[in-house]
Amino acid sequence: MKNQVPILKITRNHAALAILLCFLADRALPDSLPNKINPNGIYVVVNSANPQRNISQTGLNAIFNMRLRHWNDESPITVYVLQDEDPLHKTFCKQKLHVFPHQIRKGWNRQVFSGTGQAPLAIETKEDMIKRIRETPGAIGYLSGKDLTADVKILDIE
Amino acid sequence: MRHLPTHTKRDFLIGCCVSAFAFSASSPAQELQLDKWLPDSMQVHGFLSQGFIHTSDNNFFGHSDDSLSTDFRELGLNSSWSVLPDLQLAMQVVWRDAGQTDEGDLRIDYGLASYNLLSTESSLLTIRAGRVPTPLGFYNDTRDVASTRPSIFLPQSIYFDANRNLALSADGGYLYGEHRTDIGDFSFNFGLVIPRTDDPDFKSVILNGSSGSVQGDTSWVARVEYESPGDRVRLGVTYADFLSDFHSSSQVWNQGSFHFNPLILSAQYNAEKWSLTAEYALRHTRLDYLNVNDVSFTGQSYYIQGAYHFTDKLEGLVRYDELVWDLDDQYGYRWPAQLGPQFSRYARDWTFGLRYEILPSLMLSAEYHHVNGTGWLARLENPQGETRNWDMYAFMLSYNF
Repeated sequence: MKNQVPILKITRNHAALAILLCFLADRALPDSLPNKINPNGIYVVVNSANPQRNISQTGLNAIFNMRLRHWNDESPITVYVLQDEDPLHKTFCKQKLHVFPHQIRKGWNRQVFSGTGQAPLAIETKEDMIKRIRETPGAIGYLSGKDLTADVKILDIE
Repeated sequence: MRHLPTHTKRDFLIGCCVSAFAFSASSPAQELQLDKWLPDSMQVHGFLSQGFIHTSDNNFFGHSDDSLSTDFRELGLNSSWSVLPDLQLAMQVVWRDAGQTDEGDLRIDYGLASYNLLSTESSLLTIRAGRVPTPLGFYNDTRDVASTRPSIFLPQSIYFDANRNLALSADGGYLYGEHRTDIGDFSFNFGLVIPRTDDPDFKSVILNGSSGSVQGDTSWVARVEYESPGDRVRLGVTYADFLSDFHSSSQVWNQGSFHFNPLILSAQYNAEKWSLTAEYALRHTRLDYLNVNDVSFTGQSYYIQGAYHFTDKLEGLVRYDELVWDLDDQYGYRWPAQLGPQFSRYARDWTFGLRYEILPSLMLSAEYHHVNGTGWLARLENPQGETRNWDMYAFMLSYNF
C-alpha cells in the first residue's frame, strides 16, 4: 500500500523515459537521417554500394594523399576533390585532413611528376561531386552537411 | 631516339603540348577535360616553361652575359596508368634546353612500374623498376617541373643544373616503404641503379676536356624521411654511392672510375603562411685512376631558404646558398691556375624571388641572384674566363596541367 504509485504518474514517467530513449536511439543511428546532420559540417562521402563504413584518420589521410589505392575489400578507390581555391576544399583539408591545402597539392605534384603516384580527380562543383560519387563505384569525396543527399553514404572517421 | 632529327621531335612535342594547353585551357578543370577521353585510371600531365636570363657577367644557360638568354626551356609530358589499384606504370618524356649544358634531345626522364607489395591504412611497401627519378634531398625527384621547385633555379650548391641528367634519374630498381602513425609518417627508399652520364659539362670535366666515354656502373642510393602530422615538419637523410667508369680516347692515363658519395641532410618547417627549408650536403668525390694517383676531395654545400605567402597567389622567397668544392681549400688558393680561377672553387649566392599564380596552372616567377664565386657555373659555357662577383636576373613563365 505504501509503495503504491499512482498509475498516471508511472505512465508520465514511462512516457518521458520512452521519449528520452527514442531521442538517444535516434542519435546512435547512422546519421543518414537529415535532422542529425550539421549543415555547416563537412562529411566524407562514398559511393552508396561501398560496404566499408569507417576508416581511421591515418587511413583517410592515406587515401587523400593517394597512398592507399584500395578499400578493405580490395576494390579500387577513386578520389574526387574540388578545385584548390574552393573554400569547401580548403576547409576540408584543414578540418578533416589537418593539412594546409597548398601542402597537399605539393604532395600530389611530387607524386605525379616523379611517376610514383597520381593526383585525385579535381571537379568544379558540389553537384558534380554528388554525381561522381553516385555513379562511380569505389568513389570518395566530401560535401558540406547541407548538400548531403540520399545518393551518397557518409564514411565515419574513427 | 637518335633516328629523327632533333627539331622534328621537338616540334612534335611542342605541338602536343600546345594542343593539350589549348584543349585544357578552355576550362579551369584541366584534369577533368582530359578525363573525358581517358579512363579514370589513366592520367596525363605536362609542363612547359620558358626562362629569360640576364647576367652582369658570366654565362648561365645560354649567352646571358650582358644580354638576354632565352635558351632555358623545359617541356615535358607524362602519363600514368593505374593498371590495378596497386600497380602503376608511368613515363615522362622531356625536351629541355639549358644553354650548352643541355642541348635539347628528346629523352625519357623516367619510365617505371610500381607495384605495392603491401598496402594498408598505415603501411605501404612498394617495388619500383625501370628508369626511376633519384631520391636525393627534397627536390631532386621532380626538379624539371617549375611548379614543384621553390624558385626558378634549384639551390645550385646541391642541385647543380650543370649535371642534371646524372642526378635526375637512373636505371634500376627501388624498394620503398612507408609507415604512418599518430606521431607522423616514416619512409625509406632504397635503390640499386646504373646512373645516366649524358651531361656534356660533367663529361667534359671528368675527361679533362678530352673526348672519350663515361659509363654508369652499379650504384646505390638510400633516403629516409619523416613527416610530422599535417606536414609541419619534414626531415630527411640521403646517402648514395654513385660509380661510373671513364675512359679518354686521347689521353692514355685518363681512365678509371669515378666515385661520388653525397650525404644530404634535409629539414623543413611549414606554417600556414610561411616555410623554412635547409639542406646540408657533404660530397665526397674520388677519381680512381688506373695507372696514376687517385684524386679525392670532400666538398660541402648548404642553403637556408625562407618563403612567405603574401596572398594565396603571391609568394616571396629569400635564400642563402653556399658551395665549397674542397673543404681543404675553401677559397681555392691551391687550385692550379691552368684549371681555373680560385673563385671557381666556391660560390656564395643570395637569392631574392617572387612568384605569382596568374591562373592555377600558370605561374610567373622572377628572381635576383647576387653571387660571389663561380663554383657551379658550367665551364663549357664560359671558355673565355669568368668573373668573381656577378648578378643574375631571371624571369620564368611556366604552365603545367
